[in-house]
Amino acid sequence: MRTDTLIEMLARDAGPVPRALAARRLAPAALAGLLASATIAVAILGALPASMFASHVPWSKVAYAGALALAAGWLAARLSRPAAPVERPRAATIAVMLAMAAIGAASLWAEPPGARLAALLGGSWSTCPWSVLALSLPALGATLLAMRGLAPTRLRAAGTAAGLLAGAVGAIGYALHCPEAALAFVAAWYTAGIALAGALGAALGPLVLRW
Amino acid sequence: MIASAAQPGIFSLPDQWSASRDMRVDAGPGEFESSLKPLWLRAQAGDGAAYRQCLDLLSARLRGFFRRRLSGSPDMVEDLVQETLLAIHLRRGTHDPELPVTAWVLAIARHKLVDMWRRRGRREALHDNVDDVDERFLAVDPVDGGARRDLAALLRELPEAQRRAIMLTRIEGLSVAEASARSGASISAIKVQVHRGLKRLAARVRRDDTA
Repeated sequence: MRTDTLIEMLARDAGPVPRALAARRLAPAALAGLLASATIAVAILGALPASMFASHVPWSKVAYAGALALAAGWLAARLSRPAAPVERPRAATIAVMLAMAAIGAASLWAEPPGARLAALLGGSWSTCPWSVLALSLPALGATLLAMRGLAPTRLRAAGTAAGLLAGAVGAIGYALHCPEAALAFVAAWYTAGIALAGALGAALGPLVLRW
Repeated sequence: MIASAAQPGIFSLPDQWSASRDMRVDAGPGEFESSLKPLWLRAQAGDGAAYRQCLDLLSARLRGFFRRRLSGSPDMVEDLVQETLLAIHLRRGTHDPELPVTAWVLAIARHKLVDMWRRRGRREALHDNVDDVDERFLAVDPVDGGARRDLAALLRELPEAQRRAIMLTRIEGLSVAEASARSGASISAIKVQVHRGLKRLAARVRRDDTA
């Protein structure tokens, strides 16, 4: 086949290009993942008692994970496009995590010294990261699939961003079940779970994101 | 290349047909970008003739780019040019109009090159940042060597609906409305079948390049 024949075939009736493609593909994937995470958390793990929703307990986690999801989503969208700059979304993602770490450290400092370790570990520190990871899997699958239809050229980084986005989405779902109140707990163990999802995304990126 | 600065009119586009005549085939990278960008933006808005010219100009640049990196395999050069053009077409929604077109195309070309090397078992790691835009399109080769693959054979491998949609609209040149009347499929069905058919073609072409 001659290249000019191919060009003719591609150009004829090609029409205008769809706008904001990355956002339009990634947002539904993240939302579907969020729905899955919330549903599984409530149905299988069990939701918090209604009274707790009047306290800060779930909302501080939703705020953190929500902010991280927006930043990581921005990063993932950029990494889905060839040669798009990523400095600002990457800085935003790191900034959200650092801010939460600072808030967690401050809240730990506010505790009397004998109570700090208990506050940090809570009652579920060893299961929390794995639960967040498990709840992030639907979002990770959907996000990686959406990315394959875009054009990531930095596959490990794109996979990491997809993982962080999925992890944040999983964390939002988990917040509907998790009774831990200490901000230090959230900063440590929710971030650990989100980081695990990021690492899984990094491993899968080079395998799954080829096009 | 310096001499072109003395004739600034060469890059004005009084009408859409003058671009390929006026643009000097050996224009330097910066000049190429500044001439290509307005043409590309019109193409993205739906101007088919502008799109065809963009693909023509890009194919010449891509040929030079691949030729300098595939010194032992002239056959593969045209194959890669066509594979990259298909990728450009199918993923053109990932170009941000604020950013340079050449950087975007270069990232895709490098991605396709690395992908082909990887699939052929080449173990050399590419240490440079794939999106580093220091190396731009420096050489141009306008000669269309033709490629080994046969368009008719490729089209024959497509499912019936996809092949028919592509034959009617892209090869025979009917409008989507005429193709819809001829085949009995709805207009949106035709568009979907064309898109799917081109994606199949691209995947087939990519698999071919491993042979």
